[in-house]
Amino acid sequence: MKTTTAILAALGLSLCATTAMAKDLHVLNWKGYGADEPFATKAFEKMTGDKVVNDFFNSEQEMLTKLRTNPGLYDVVMINAAFMQQALDEKLVQPIDTATIENYGDIDDAKAKSKMLNVDGKTYGVPWTWGLTTIAINDKAFDTPPTSIKEMWKPEHKGRVTIRDDAVEAVQLGALATGQNINDIEDMDAVKKSLADLLPNIRTFWSSENDWNQMVASNQIDLGTYWSGSAGRAKVKFKLPVSLAVPKEGAVGWLDTFAIPKGSKNVEGAEKFINYMLSPEFYTEWDETVGAPVSASNKAVAALPADSFNRKVMGAPEIAERVQFQEPITDEQREEYLKLWQSLKVGAN
Amino acid sequence: MIRAPAFLSGLGRFYIGLVLAFLYLPLVIMAAMSFNVSPFYQLPFEGTTEWYVALAQNDGLIDATINSLEIAVLTTIIATALGTAASLALFRYDFAGKRILQALLFPPIAIPWLISGTAMLIFFFGTGIGRGLHAILLGHVALALPYVIIVVSARLATFSKDLEDAAASLGATGWQTTRKVTLPCIAPGIVAGGLFAFAVSFDQFVVSYFLATPGQTTLPVEIYAAIRKGFTPEINAVSTIIIVFSMSLMLVVSRFFRFGGDQ
Amino acid sequence: MAAGAIPSNDTDRKETTPMAASGAMKQNGLRKALPLLLPAYAWLTLAIFLPLSAMVYFSLLTSMSPSEQSSSLTLANYATFFSDPLYATLLLRSLKLGLLVTLICVLIGFPAAYVLAKIFKGRAREAIFLLVILPFWSNSLVRVFSWSMVLREGGILDTALNAILPFHVTFDLMYSFPAVVIGLVHSYLPYMVLTCYLSLQAIDDALIEAARSLGATRFTTLRRVVAPLALPGVLAGSALIFIPVVGSFMEPRILGGRTGTLYGTVIEDQFTAVYNWPLGAALSFILLAVVLVILLVSAPVLRKAA
Repeated sequence: MKTTTAILAALGLSLCATTAMAKDLHVLNWKGYGADEPFATKAFEKMTGDKVVNDFFNSEQEMLTKLRTNPGLYDVVMINAAFMQQALDEKLVQPIDTATIENYGDIDDAKAKSKMLNVDGKTYGVPWTWGLTTIAINDKAFDTPPTSIKEMWKPEHKGRVTIRDDAVEAVQLGALATGQNINDIEDMDAVKKSLADLLPNIRTFWSSENDWNQMVASNQIDLGTYWSGSAGRAKVKFKLPVSLAVPKEGAVGWLDTFAIPKGSKNVEGAEKFINYMLSPEFYTEWDETVGAPVSASNKAVAALPADSFNRKVMGAPEIAERVQFQEPITDEQREEYLKLWQSLKVGAN
Repeated sequence: MIRAPAFLSGLGRFYIGLVLAFLYLPLVIMAAMSFNVSPFYQLPFEGTTEWYVALAQNDGLIDATINSLEIAVLTTIIATALGTAASLALFRYDFAGKRILQALLFPPIAIPWLISGTAMLIFFFGTGIGRGLHAILLGHVALALPYVIIVVSARLATFSKDLEDAAASLGATGWQTTRKVTLPCIAPGIVAGGLFAFAVSFDQFVVSYFLATPGQTTLPVEIYAAIRKGFTPEINAVSTIIIVFSMSLMLVVSRFFRFGGDQ
Repeated sequence: MAAGAIPSNDTDRKETTPMAASGAMKQNGLRKALPLLLPAYAWLTLAIFLPLSAMVYFSLLTSMSPSEQSSSLTLANYATFFSDPLYATLLLRSLKLGLLVTLICVLIGFPAAYVLAKIFKGRAREAIFLLVILPFWSNSLVRVFSWSMVLREGGILDTALNAILPFHVTFDLMYSFPAVVIGLVHSYLPYMVLTCYLSLQAIDDALIEAARSLGATRFTTLRRVVAPLALPGVLAGSALIFIPVVGSFMEPRILGGRTGTLYGTVIEDQFTAVYNWPLGAALSFILLAVVLVILLVSAPVLRKAA
């Protein structure tokens, strides 16, 4: 026993020693979502000397669990503002000194002051981008883009629709389709029924952008829910026949923010990184060469060409009035949504 | 000799051909796709080696490959040493509770990996052993040990104890007997056990998945993350390399051991 | 693989070891064996038995969230399984999947092993045997992933079929239950061929010839002579396949899509996403109990049938 533990300890040490390196900046984000673009990590490394090490999550739940089970590992985490409350309750993030982030002043005031991000006078999240969860279509399947969310329920799209494998997103989709407020759903039965009706049309659930793009590339789907920035990327970067359609029933708006996890070993690097992510230089290159959602920084959006989608369409008043922004959901609601979603997927009830 | 009619044996050959086609078809297609230009596996086929170039620059996948090999080699050494020692003890000595000890070898095989993996996660996380490469090594050795003991024991069963007794009566010490007589005789069993240990470790995904941490991860875990999060044909490239590597290794090994031969 | 070797090997030794006779010798034996046994069993204790015990404890906790200090012992996690039909449905679905995959592996693997052991001879047999088990040494994850390229619409099979057939067909099995089954069968088939082959090879050809010369038909010989003798191999292979398939989560996630929710994926979710380890632990133990019961119940029944 003694010898084995000694051997083990020695092996463990030697294995660990090779991986630890100073001045790394560990970033936790969606895959293919700006922070891991090679041009960005290279530029940032050149600017500061810090090497960006990316890690990815597939759902907000996975993101939170990665923070819980890897304390002290990450320096920057991308959190949807609606999930900030949960991260705060579990003390997973620390306050940010916004004075160190030069570009913080360019952020749209309403977003920077959001109650979801500022608690007891301290700022925990720096708004980065916002966008819509709405419908994207496979151009090959439509002559004219649909105007109603009900298009997804039509029988001619049987087996050719996709939505994300996410309880909250699914329930909010059901709420939009039944004409309800996504943050105050009164008729859950209607939501459930509408989702149950939708299921036969579903080809599969997507969990990464790559899933979605692959299905369009092999012409497996006609339409589905997608994120506005991702649809842009599919078109710009991958040259796929994808267009965004904001239906008359409305769309779900989200605000993505950067936070610094508790125990970060490179807070200074994190602040510099967040600052860089808000800069017009980064944003214009991201949007033009890759495809991006709308930056939270007014200055960054203004740097885009006047006819760009994110400036022209997303900034238009008729879109703005259709958007319902996500608000935090309680633990009870999350449980309820998750249960509903799981039972729908399994077809138990 | 049984004389099977020609048509039956022809049918048999055809059937084996079908089974082999089933086994190899997807592997061949995957290898082909690693040379296809479309990141979404679109046809028609257009040749490129860009995914191999991209792979050469993918530090994450390369580090994970090195980790996987390191862990597989260490697992092989440790599991073979511990397993051979235990097999010798179970072969030579008789004592109360031996059957129980033998039965205790089966849980690592008979429990779904999902359960072993999550149990290790809970225990290592809770006791401060932590997760990471050392934890993965701990788990892999435990999973490989029963295979080593079973394979080595099977070889020992064909080994006559009289030889050990004869060596002892000629004045050899216990260690001398083991080193000069027993070990050479069961060497093929030990090597086969080691091979099993290597394969169990190198192929292991489930247990590694629960014990890996970002940066301290193995190739299968990294590939899984890549598939789920969308990495495109670099995965095909690395998979093709793994398949070619592990199959050639097995072919080399089979030159020395006759698997399934008539013996 | 050689799982059957241990018990028989044990009884063989009993007969050839006179030492076993006296209790004093037994004590002595244990003392000598201990230094050789200890490292291996200590390792198993640290990596298997202690973790399983920790898991029992965890499955009884109310919560593991650090914000809730008062975590106490409870059976609520087990009650969850019984109060929500979702879990039982999924467990049943996973068990069915396990049975189906095992059955298909027997149906494909046993004839293949038979042909290999009884029709091929010498070098050809060795070479083909090697070919069958070679994929087993490549990575299982890689093999599952490779099917996603074959099965999807616009994939290889779809394109090939449409190139050959005069009319248009849409071939798309991706993200379906059959896709999961195909992927799993592909992953585990070599196990079945291996174990069946080992037991078939051990059958003396003379025995088969004797049956034939006594007038038994080919089929009768197969049913009355070969099948019973090969049963241990089939059973060992079935156990080696059934156990991991019941707990599978990676294959359904990659190939199953909408139909890929299984008991294994729900357990995985508790650990990697939902962060409800106590519930995950309880669900794991229920699975473990069910698997053990199935193994215990089926072993003697099947042995008697033989």
